[in-house]
Amino acid sequence: MPAKYGVPSDPDYNERLAEFEARIKRGEKIEPGDWMPEEYRRQLIRMISQHAHSEVVGMLPEGAWITRAPSLKRKMILVAKVQDEAGHGQYLYHAAETLGIRREAMIEALLTGQAKYSSVFNYPTLTWADVGVIGWLVDGAAIKNQTMLAQCSYGPYSRAMVRICAEETFHHKQGKEMVLLYAKGTPKQRRMAQDAINRWWWPALMMMGPHDKDSPNTEVLVRWGIKTKTNDQVRQEFINEHVPEILEAGLTLPDPHLRYDPSTGNWLHGPINWEEFWQVVKGNGPMNKERLEARRRAHAEGAWVREALEAYAAKKRRTAVAV
Amino acid sequence: MRSEVREALIAKLTALADDEVILAHRNSEWTGHGPILEEDIALANIVQDELGHATLWLGLRQQLDGSDPDRLVFFRDADEYRCCALVELPKGDWAFTMLRQYLFDLYEALWLEAARHSSYQPLADAAQKIIREERFHLQHTHAWVERLGQGTDESNRRLQQALDMQWGYAQQLFVPIPGEELLVAEGMVPDLALIKEGWLEHSTRHLRNAGLKLPVNPGYQPTTRTYHTEHLWSLLAEMQSTARWDAEAEVW
Amino acid sequence: MDTQWPRWEVFKQDTPSKPHQAVGSVHAADPEHALLTARNVFARRPQAVSMWVARADDIHSWTREELLEGFPKVRADASLAPGRYLVFRKTSHKRSMTFVDFVGEVEARSPEEALVQAQATFGDLEALVWWIVPAEKVYRSDPSQETLESWFAPAKDKTYKQQQYYATVGSHVSKHRGGRGVEDEE
Repeated sequence: MPAKYGVPSDPDYNERLAEFEARIKRGEKIEPGDWMPEEYRRQLIRMISQHAHSEVVGMLPEGAWITRAPSLKRKMILVAKVQDEAGHGQYLYHAAETLGIRREAMIEALLTGQAKYSSVFNYPTLTWADVGVIGWLVDGAAIKNQTMLAQCSYGPYSRAMVRICAEETFHHKQGKEMVLLYAKGTPKQRRMAQDAINRWWWPALMMMGPHDKDSPNTEVLVRWGIKTKTNDQVRQEFINEHVPEILEAGLTLPDPHLRYDPSTGNWLHGPINWEEFWQVVKGNGPMNKERLEARRRAHAEGAWVREALEAYAAKKRRTAVAV
Repeated sequence: MRSEVREALIAKLTALADDEVILAHRNSEWTGHGPILEEDIALANIVQDELGHATLWLGLRQQLDGSDPDRLVFFRDADEYRCCALVELPKGDWAFTMLRQYLFDLYEALWLEAARHSSYQPLADAAQKIIREERFHLQHTHAWVERLGQGTDESNRRLQQALDMQWGYAQQLFVPIPGEELLVAEGMVPDLALIKEGWLEHSTRHLRNAGLKLPVNPGYQPTTRTYHTEHLWSLLAEMQSTARWDAEAEVW
Repeated sequence: MDTQWPRWEVFKQDTPSKPHQAVGSVHAADPEHALLTARNVFARRPQAVSMWVARADDIHSWTREELLEGFPKVRADASLAPGRYLVFRKTSHKRSMTFVDFVGEVEARSPEEALVQAQATFGDLEALVWWIVPAEKVYRSDPSQETLESWFAPAKDKTYKQQQYYATVGSHVSKHRGGRGVEDEE
């Protein structure tokens, strides 16, 4: 059934919008086919496809270390993790497709540089310990976001997030396990772990997005049940959970201003370098060009494969009809 | 167990494991670069299974001589590896990888079917476990060979090129290692000559159905697992780099 | 030009006593390829004993809201022989990772007539969403023991993908509301 996407110029827009918002307030899920504001659809397509792109691009920084994993077990675990990321991208593209956009179009937007993805993946993975730190910090940040999104009002997105949450915890734990091990390991392992924390801490904090005062989309996303917490709220939760554990492991954080505030129970952090964040978002980070180039190449080199399977399927359908 | 049988068994288990380790490594190079998301996921499944198989085989070796699997994988030099040459070849394009995987999966599935009856119980048990996954791999790569062979002129051409390159190398899968005849006599491993018959029959039929021609000149057919291709040294240099960087580390 | 292959909805049956449930979709080129792909994407972890796939284009979907606004015209051509349709239904807004559940089959001469039959036959609970699919458009995984062993059983051994495998449990994991990492929500 073709879905109905309402715009303010529709005669019944206000009435329908009121009922739509009442449904969300009642805790109902909006499903493909239901009326929704075109703006809701637009925001969701943007968020979901960005999220999907992040998973797919996110395969690259850790994927680079599969061929250098130092034990059979770690290799297997890393392959499983990166495979999950592909799977998560896949679930998310599916959720976006229910809103009437084709996967081909989303991929084109990514490869032409129009669509964004989480800028944290524009940093390089320089050592094996980066794999552990990404699992611990980057996936740790992602989990906070995903847990919130699992309650999202749009059915397909909520379902994708619930499935992703169930799988993501393993990512977080295996990363944490690795870093804790190396923090107590050989001198080389300890130095490697600390160095990785030093490089990934700030990019992880930036993952949760600009400060609330610099986030224009938040209000409508909250009203329509897409977001239930603000960026700063999520960031503070993340810091409060991870700082004590990192310190307990005998590691330090690259933030000279970091201090605990007993009156709020919060760990207060130093200023985030938003200039760096916006540069990376704009495409000037250390790995932006390489990441996109890798995806473009995979897409281009895979074209003949995709065509071959289409051709085979068409032949089979013709012979089925002919019989 | 007589010591020469034990030695032969250790060597065979090592060869089995080395094939899985190197093939898994080549396949893992595709992660994040596959032709479509779904196929990235599919090949990653095969990689995990192969690493699991290597772990099983080396676990069996560990029971015999106490060797540590990770030490074997990450600290042996190229001339100590006992993989066949086919698995060392660079991954090539998607057709190359799918064809190699098909030829290998077919061999492995047939070998494991027979190995389930091994007189050496741990090997029989391992074969029983592994064959479940191998059957799925074979279904998957069998389907791919058909689709690439019958798809477009381009996919057929690429698959044909892969076959031309790999056919000779694939014959090495059926060359017994030194001492293997002792294991066959004891009923511990299947006779590769018999496995080869089934493999030739199934593979030539399927490849022809897929619109391919067997190469008139098969090219190089390695007969020993002691000497390798030029690729193995660099492959291991990358694969072992982190482990060797901190050789003192006991746990990773 | 679309090179990402057609979309196929996937239905997974966790155990023999549970219904097939819609878990998401895959892009694949033909039915056999779609089944293999569905297994790779959705059976990475337990549990599964059976999978079905159907092209997204072959699925007829109606939400409760759509039906309240106007029931589809039932085009039931008497000259057509009735066909079998599979019926799936969502009955709860509860947070879940699965969508519609299989409830049964009806015979009808069109998807709209099948919907009418479905509402009459499966009226025990209020349906929030109906999916109607012609039976011949649904492709099923092989039910044999051998397939169960090779397609679905191996995932059980891959414990390294389960969060319980990792000994380090920080207090924050239990603080996560909802993000329990438990395999199936149900």
